[in-house]
Amino acid sequence: MLEQIPTAFLFIAAALVLLLLPQGRIRAAFLLAVPLLAGWQIWTLPEGNLLQVGFFGFELELMRVDRLARAFGLVFALAGFLGNLYAWHLRDSVQQVAALLYAGSAIGALFAGDLITLFFYWEGTAIASVFLIWARRTEGAYFTGMRYLIIQVGSGVLLIAGVALIWRETGSIAFDKMVLGSPGTWLIFLSFGIKAAFPLLHNWLQDSYPAGTVTGTVILSAFTTKLAIYALARGFAGTEILIYIGVIMTIFPVFFAEIENDLRRVLAYSLNNQLGFMVVGIGIGTDMAINGTVSHAFAHILYKALLFMSVGAVLFRTGTSKASELGGLYRTMPLTAIFCLVGAASISAFPLFSGFVTKSLVLGETAQAGHWVVWAGLVFASAAVLSHSGIKIPFFMFFAHDSGKRPKEAPTHMLWAMGIAAAFSIGIGVVPAPLYAILPFPVDYEPYTMNHVVAQLQLLLFALLAFAFLMRTGIHPPEVRAINLDFDWTYRWLLPRLLRAVSGAVASVWGAQAAFWQRRARRLVDRLYTSHGPEGRISTVWPTGAMVIWIAILLGATLILNFLG
Amino acid sequence: MLEKPQDNPEDYPALGRAISWVDRPGSLRKIIAALAIICVLTFLADFTYEKHGEFAVEDLPGFYAVFGFVGFSGLIVLARFLRVLIKRPEDFYGNKAVDGEVYPPDQLDISEQGDA
Repeated sequence: MLEQIPTAFLFIAAALVLLLLPQGRIRAAFLLAVPLLAGWQIWTLPEGNLLQVGFFGFELELMRVDRLARAFGLVFALAGFLGNLYAWHLRDSVQQVAALLYAGSAIGALFAGDLITLFFYWEGTAIASVFLIWARRTEGAYFTGMRYLIIQVGSGVLLIAGVALIWRETGSIAFDKMVLGSPGTWLIFLSFGIKAAFPLLHNWLQDSYPAGTVTGTVILSAFTTKLAIYALARGFAGTEILIYIGVIMTIFPVFFAEIENDLRRVLAYSLNNQLGFMVVGIGIGTDMAINGTVSHAFAHILYKALLFMSVGAVLFRTGTSKASELGGLYRTMPLTAIFCLVGAASISAFPLFSGFVTKSLVLGETAQAGHWVVWAGLVFASAAVLSHSGIKIPFFMFFAHDSGKRPKEAPTHMLWAMGIAAAFSIGIGVVPAPLYAILPFPVDYEPYTMNHVVAQLQLLLFALLAFAFLMRTGIHPPEVRAINLDFDWTYRWLLPRLLRAVSGAVASVWGAQAAFWQRRARRLVDRLYTSHGPEGRISTVWPTGAMVIWIAILLGATLILNFLG
Repeated sequence: MLEKPQDNPEDYPALGRAISWVDRPGSLRKIIAALAIICVLTFLADFTYEKHGEFAVEDLPGFYAVFGFVGFSGLIVLARFLRVLIKRPEDFYGNKAVDGEVYPPDQLDISEQGDA
């Protein structure tokens, strides 16, 4: 029976049922059960197109199950479970419903077999997720949420515009591999690119994720961007431009991450950098590269959630996530510190941690394809990941100088959520075979070769040595209370001022010409008044009486002529 | 913030007390020394097996070590320059951003170790 219900509908139904349940443990337990049920359903569903629905003459494919969608579906369900476990203490219906609808929309989009269904769920993720930002209920969060919503909905608008063009061109709305070329495919590519945070389209990510609630940001980190990665892997595998977009994505956010003070924004930059590795894999497009992208997305969702959870726990206990205000917290939050270190080791791809067995698939394929510049960029980015996610996050939060703060250890349910995510991150790293087994294509790869392990250890340990050296010499930039400008400066600062300047200029030109014509009109009226007004020459020369006399004379003349005639 | 006068390491969780070894005088030196030794070992390990990288440069002994050290240092130095250009006060975007705001305390559970 369960395969007759699209997985997304489970979440939507659950969101309705949720409101009938009393706040408290029952509701929190229900929130855990839903993603578990969904995960079990995804695990057991047969492959194929399971459900068609007619819609204004279109045949919508609501459940297209294949290995690519299933791998993403499983980790989305797991992320939903971990996010809700982390939010066990929460008594906020808005966030609970938003989390369910958001996870449901994201999973629905994975199984969408056509572009119209994809569009509906695509916008669903945008609308549901913004409530995880607005739920902070501050003025800043309201404006940030608005910016986020405009960009996310804008991505959906581009998508549906592209779908319309493609439908007119080919008569098909199937969501399959596309070739960049026609305007329709470019629009869809751009739409995916916005959600995947391509360079210069990326700022919504670093702007909005630090504005989410403690628990909301953990949930936000899992879905939107990885949905875009899935969509790119499905639609644009092997598109060469993605290789270059991807490598730029891995490199340029790391500089910003290095000097950012808000640790949740550091993680957003680092998320952007990790997406770059996945985008490169999609661009290369071989079976193994796609495997690399999918496995890296799988591992990434877990360790990124883990890192956001650890920073969130510190925010929850201290009221801040700014590096300049933190430090030395390992004393009273040792478990959170250890889980954070596991997440840091996983994202840095230390051997025995998850990043090591997944990222190397992408790097290996890049090298095999002979893209040496791209490959060098990715190796540099791998060392750079260590600097902000591997070192900066745990070091400045839990070690470094003592901030004097002695917060209580994170609540038990948060520790459990972090513990499970950490267990997965280590488990995948130590025994990668089960993850490799659910990838879209057969995997013939051994991550633990002498060559690979030594190379990776050298890269990371010598980078760590560089960090120690730079800290001792004082070259490493200190953490200071400040923000850094990024490309969003153009639309948050420059554009409003430009618009104001332009509107000011237009207004003054308009005002000047209006005043000019007004003066002309006034002068004309004045002149008419002088000549034709009561005191005017024309009125004095031609009084009404004169007219009457002239008419009388004309009449008399006519009479006389008539009489004579 | 100043160290709290009533701060008592005895109140830390056992795990926290164990980790606080890293803050003892001399520990940092030991950690860095250990790191340096492991680094040298991984460098020496390069001579113990046959390398078969995709690119010739990968087969140079210590290639990844140099790449890691130089790449990381370059990143930090460049980032410092970048900060000079783009650093702004926290309230740069005013009330349109959360950076200058306090996180609403009613949504948090700010409690210190030892609180009831």
